[in-house]
This record gives sequence, structure tokens and C-alpha cells, in this order.
Amino acid sequence: MKQCVVAFALAILFVFPVIAADPAPIQAPPAPGPATGLADLAALRATVFGTPPQDIAPLPEKVPLLEMDLALPWARPVPAVFWFDRRLRVWFSAQDKPAPLAIVIAGTGSDGNTAKLAILRAVLYGAGYHVLTMPSPTFPGFIVSASSTGVAGDLVQDGRDLYAAIQQIIAHLPRKVRITDIDILGYSLGGANAAVVKSIDAAERKLNIHRALMINPPVSLFATVGRLDKLYAITLGNGDAGVERFYQQLYAALANLYQASGQVELDQDFLLGAAASILKTNAEFSAAIALTFRIALINVFFAGDLYSGSGVVVDPRHPPTVNAPLEETFRILRGKPFSEYFTKVFAPYYLRHRPNSTVEELIAENRLDAIGAALRADPDYYAQTNSDDLILDAAELDWLKRTFGERIQVYDHGGHLGNLGDRRQVADMLDMLGGRWTGSAP
Amino acid sequence: MRAAGSAMVLLLALAGCASQEVRYREWPPDTPAANNAVNLERASALAAEAASAGKSAKTEAAGEPVPITAADAPSLATYDPWAGFNRSMYRFNARFDEAVYLPVANRYRRLPSPIRAGVHNFFGNLAEIDSIINYTLQGRLGRMVRSVGRFAINSTLGLGGLFDVAEKLNIPKAPTGFGTTLAKWGMHPGPYWVIPIYGPSTLREGIGLAADYGTSYAVNVANLYRGGTSWGLGVLNAVDKRANVDFRYYASGSPFEYDTIRFLYVRKVLIEDAGLNRSKPAKNPNPDAPAGQ
Repeated sequence: MKQCVVAFALAILFVFPVIAADPAPIQAPPAPGPATGLADLAALRATVFGTPPQDIAPLPEKVPLLEMDLALPWARPVPAVFWFDRRLRVWFSAQDKPAPLAIVIAGTGSDGNTAKLAILRAVLYGAGYHVLTMPSPTFPGFIVSASSTGVAGDLVQDGRDLYAAIQQIIAHLPRKVRITDIDILGYSLGGANAAVVKSIDAAERKLNIHRALMINPPVSLFATVGRLDKLYAITLGNGDAGVERFYQQLYAALANLYQASGQVELDQDFLLGAAASILKTNAEFSAAIALTFRIALINVFFAGDLYSGSGVVVDPRHPPTVNAPLEETFRILRGKPFSEYFTKVFAPYYLRHRPNSTVEELIAENRLDAIGAALRADPDYYAQTNSDDLILDAAELDWLKRTFGERIQVYDHGGHLGNLGDRRQVADMLDMLGGRWTGSAP
Repeated sequence: MRAAGSAMVLLLALAGCASQEVRYREWPPDTPAANNAVNLERASALAAEAASAGKSAKTEAAGEPVPITAADAPSLATYDPWAGFNRSMYRFNARFDEAVYLPVANRYRRLPSPIRAGVHNFFGNLAEIDSIINYTLQGRLGRMVRSVGRFAINSTLGLGGLFDVAEKLNIPKAPTGFGTTLAKWGMHPGPYWVIPIYGPSTLREGIGLAADYGTSYAVNVANLYRGGTSWGLGVLNAVDKRANVDFRYYASGSPFEYDTIRFLYVRKVLIEDAGLNRSKPAKNPNPDAPAGQ
């Protein structure tokens, strides 16, 4: 069945090739095959709830925290509606002695201080690293303050912007900081970003990045987001009706739980407890995952549309003012899948700016095998993933295993990032970054 | 006059900061081990709660819960007739928070935790007076007695409220205010309202806040609200509140943050109202009416 879908998608791609000068509408990336973990409730649960606190690796008592807000020289004029994103915000934790620097990049749409980054920061700091945590290049704060295009999601372009931003950050670290070596890592999309940054550095040698580690990376960006789009369509349908139904269901469940609890305030603790009893079925977990991703995409879509002047939801002649009502824009974007971002914003922009490029090349450049030769040959690239990670299909997981050989660790369970920070993942991560990795245990 | 001078110095300092290539802001150190210990405790509490679900007796007889169905949920849209003012005020609050409120709260967070806990408990204990009055007005006498007990214990054994001894005796705090009293009396929340510096609220909650302050002023326990130190005490109370709220304006980086916060806040109020009166959530007969109208 899966082969049929892939063959059908490829047929569409080859029978109707789209090139820059072709006036025909741009086709979305091919529909991806099913992912490995979608039907598995344990994988879905792990993805939503993350690593249980009892499984988290030992953490240090205290980690210093310095926020750095940088005005980057190449930043584009800031649109009024993004007035608060003028500066790139990153977080730095310094050792008080010379130490290696670990640069950690967040996953899709996330800022530089997420709960997942806080765990990685803590374990890396505890292991003796200076730690710099960075937002994803798909985080609106990065798109506005550090992107040279405003159209996020292109691995190479995002990698170049990250590489330039990291150089600026390192040049402005507090003077007392002494760096002995630089490693880079990231989770989810941030893992792919980290590998691309190392590959750029291998050519330009401005930072001399030593090791790169990808935690639960996608293999093909567009296949992964296509998979999440499909998950959205299956669980929530197209248009507003599905989202409304899901919201009404959650609202009623939450209101009933609240009434039964006799609590005074509907606070964070109550919500955390409620989440565990409200989401029960595969469909509910899947809908929550798909919706979370869609909300991250809304910002990317909005910023890309605004910067590229595509005019999908933002009138380029009348960009939104600082206090403009955005309800309607949000409502429209909620219903738009990634494929529409690709066909109406992303591909037209990059085809315009890379005149000899084709849609197929854009898709291919956003697969990890664009840097496959380096990943295979350079012993300083490492990866960690899970066999039930729902952003990969079996072929992609197999590609990762073949490409990394002994330099990958594949865990049996954890879904997507649902074991980040657990004892085993952390021990392996530190061995990989410290050059002590001797291959995965049988 | 002195306040105006200070404001000018602050503005000049901020203007200077704005042009810098890099701004550094040192935060209180993160405490991952302690944070995870809290998470662990929370997880065990949740597990215990789940295990005993259905067995726990209600603390007050407020009637049987009314089952709420998906059809009772308000629309995805939110009633916000003052959106123009509110959006401007949200922006002002974000700027004020970033420039003044948060930096002061962060400095405060560097004080030893027993001192901060003492300050927090002290203000919490003062708030019990307002809770006693409002629980009485709400007719929730069980809770009123609990607040009286907490106030008596913490004011004496807790050395004037510096220690929350009642909490340790398993009498946790459950503060209330005039906003909740109005809700209990059946008053609709009214329009969403972003209050200067305070943040997201509704008209009813805003009236409640003013009444709560008026009550404190009228009761004026130990002359704290009218004496020479009342101004400083008010600032300390505000700083303590900010230091205990884990929120940063525009940490989302998103231009839709105003809409998201409004969406969540109004639904939180509607769910709390329904819980308070054991009723269906207030809903406009028009199914297309935005939530909160």
C-alpha cells in the first residue's frame, strides 16, 4: 500500500514537472508514506507528555543563565506587527573555567529557552560545557531578527542564517569566557539544522565546529511535515469544523473535571493533571500533536507571507499595523496546511531567488541526504532517534541507520522526543559529544 | 516631581540601552534539580489523585455538578468590544514589564528564598481578611471558617504571617476576592479588559480588584494601608506577585499572542464561573455569538 502511495506521488511529480518559468501552479511535495509510530499509543503518549520526571538524568543544583538580545547587522526592516521580535534572544550558561561550548538548537517553531532546551542545558552544563541555547530558525523571533529572507524552512538558507548568527553571538560572549572546543546539537528540526551548520562550517572554517549530534531529526523535511499535515487532516479534517469539534470536546472535558475537583482556581497544576485524563485515545493524542504543529506553522506562514509579499493572507500593500486585529488572519491560517505554504509562499520565493532551481531540487535540498556524503564519511556526526518516532517512516529510519552506522543510537521507545533527558539518552549523548562513543550496545 | 525625574532617568537609560548591539540580562540561576523534584512531587500527587478519583468528599455542599457537554462550549471567537484599547494596553504592559517590572522582579528573585517566602506568606496572610469577607458574602461558610483559621494560625504561630504554618497543618490557602463574589451572585464577566500593568482581566474582575483594594484600605489592618509605609508595601506586594508569575510577554515571538492569551483567559473565567455555581457555562442564545458576550 505504501509503495502505491509513493509511486503515485512520484508519478505526479514526474509527469507534471514544475520549473521556475512554468506558469502552471506549483505542486506540493509528494504525499509521504505512513510514519513508524502513528498507531502506537505509547509513542503518542511519550511524544505529548515527554520524559517522566523520575526517568530524567541527574541534574545540577544550579545553572547560571545569561540572556543575550542581539541586534544583528543584516536584519531586515522589522514589520510593525513584529515590533517585539527586533532582537535575537539566546541564552548562555558559562563555566567559570576554560571549557568546550555546546550550541543547542530548538525544534520547529520553538524559542531558545524551552523546557526541552532547559533539560539539555542542565545536563550539558553539569558535564562541564558552556551552553548556548538558540531558537529554531522557524521561531518567529529568529525569522524577524536573524533571517536574511524571512521565508523560513529551507535547510540550507536557515543553516546559513544560523551560522552567521552563531558567529555574532560568540563574538559577543562575556570576555571572561574561554572556549576550548565547539560542538553543536539540536532536537527534531534543530538536529537537522545543527548538522547543516557543521557542514557549512566544514567548508568555511570560521568556527571549527568539532562534533554535531542530531536528536530525533527528520530525514526529509517535507515528508515529515506532509505527514503531520496528513495527521491533521485525518484527525481534525479540513476547515474549521474539526478544530471546533476538538476544542468543544476539550472544553467540556476540562469544565467537567474542574467542577468535579472543587478547586478554586483553574491554574497550571490543574491543567497538567487534566491533560493526563482528557487525552485518552490515539485520535485525541494525534489531534493534539497535529494541532500543536499547525499552530507553530501559523507563525512561519504569516511571517513568510509578509516578508515575501506573496499576498496569501497579508496584503503586501497594506501590511498589518502594530495594533491590527488579527483574528481573521489566524482563523484562515489555522485551516492552511504546510503544502499551501510550500506552493504559495516557499517555492515561489526560492524559485524567484534561485533562477536555475526547480521544485524537485528544492525538495531534494531539504532532505538530509543533501549532506549525506558528509554524514557518512565524517566520524564527528552522531544521531539519536527512536524506532517509534512518528516523524520518520521505516525507509527513513533505515536510511539513518545505514548513513550513520555505529554513530547512531536507536532506542526502542520514546516516540518523538519522549525520552529526551532520560538517563540513557543523556549518557549516550555525553559519550557522543565527548568522543567516547564506542557504538550502540546490542 | 521626584517620580517624574526618576521616570526621565529611566527613559534615558532605556533609550541608551535600545541602541546597543547586544543587551545582556543576567537571570537568577536555573535550579534544574529542584525543578525536577517539584515535577516529581507533582506527578506523584497527580497519580495519587487519579487513584482516589471519585472517592474524595467535596469540601462544601454546593450541589451536584451539572454535566457539561461539547454543545455547551462557547464559540472559538472571543467577545472583545474594547479590542483597540486592549491591544494598545497589552503592548504597553509588555513594554513596561520588559523595561521595569520584570528586571525589578528578577533582582528581587536573587534575595535568599526564606526572605522571599516570608514576604509572600505575609501578603498571603493579609489577603485572608479579604477572603473571609468575600467567602461570607458568597455564603460559603466552610471556606470562610478555613480562612479565619488560617489567618489566626499564621498571624500567631506564623509570626505575623511570615510563615504559612496552616499549610503545614494541611489547611491549604484558597484565596478569593470580590470578583468571585460577583460571579457567585450571578454577574456576567463582562467584556475582556487588559488592565494597565495588571494584565488580562474582565470588567467584573476589574471591579473586584478595586473593591478588594477598597476593603483592605477600609480594614487597614495594623495601619499598613494608610500609614507612611503603605506606598512601599504596595510596591513590594506587586514585586512579590510578579516574581511568582512565570510569564514573559512575547516569549512566544508570535503576533497572535494577544489573541491566544485572550482566548485562554476568557475560557478560564467561563469554566471557573460554571464551576462556582455548578451550572452550565454562561452562553449566549445566539450560537454564533463570541465567547464571553
